[in-house]
Amino acid sequence: MNKDFYELTTEPLNVGEIARRVVPASCGAIVTLDGFVRQWTREKETLYLEYEAYQPMALKEMEKLIKNAKEQFEIENVGIVHRLGRMEIGETSVVISVASPHRRAAFESCEWLIKELKRTVPIWKKEFYVGGEVWIQGDSQEKS
Amino acid sequence: MKISVLFFGQTAEIVGRREIEISLDNSVKSGEAVAGVLEKYPKLKETKLLFAVNQNYAKGDELINDGDELAIFTAVSGG
Repeated sequence: MNKDFYELTTEPLNVGEIARRVVPASCGAIVTLDGFVRQWTREKETLYLEYEAYQPMALKEMEKLIKNAKEQFEIENVGIVHRLGRMEIGETSVVISVASPHRRAAFESCEWLIKELKRTVPIWKKEFYVGGEVWIQGDSQEKS
Repeated sequence: MKISVLFFGQTAEIVGRREIEISLDNSVKSGEAVAGVLEKYPKLKETKLLFAVNQNYAKGDELINDGDELAIFTAVSGG
């Protein structure tokens, strides 16, 4: 049974609940990334972040990511949920859960998924820090 | 023909709007359409941009059709 999912929401994310949704009987491991708002980036103190997305395209890109991950790694199910809107320090902005029969593929694919999400899914964050605000630009420009 | 142009994040802030409509001649490529928008909003040239046609990343040589959706934005930063 396919338990993949990809979603955008402005509601707070429940990491444990999201992780449980990907579990099939054939799996022995789930790796879950809980990405949350960091307070300190070197000397700079973040106050909060605001995320926005090009929603229909973001969902399409998330769907593509899951498809690509499943072609490359021995994994069963993938769930990705990204939150949008304002988030305070410590609040979860993104959850990626991967269920696989064995843990190695789950770790590797979860890392690959977050790296690609940051490169290709059209979501942007604006950082409000002590002394200013700035739209963050990702490092990667090229879409392969 | 007419297409809509969408902006997000920093590009929306620069343009001051999230969506505009532009008129184009037939047989225009996506790169030419983007160049036209940059002429209208030269401040956009100060940042590196990506763009998409109908919700797919575009390179510049895609032919634009009436009613297409062009989106212009900076490097994505989700996560």
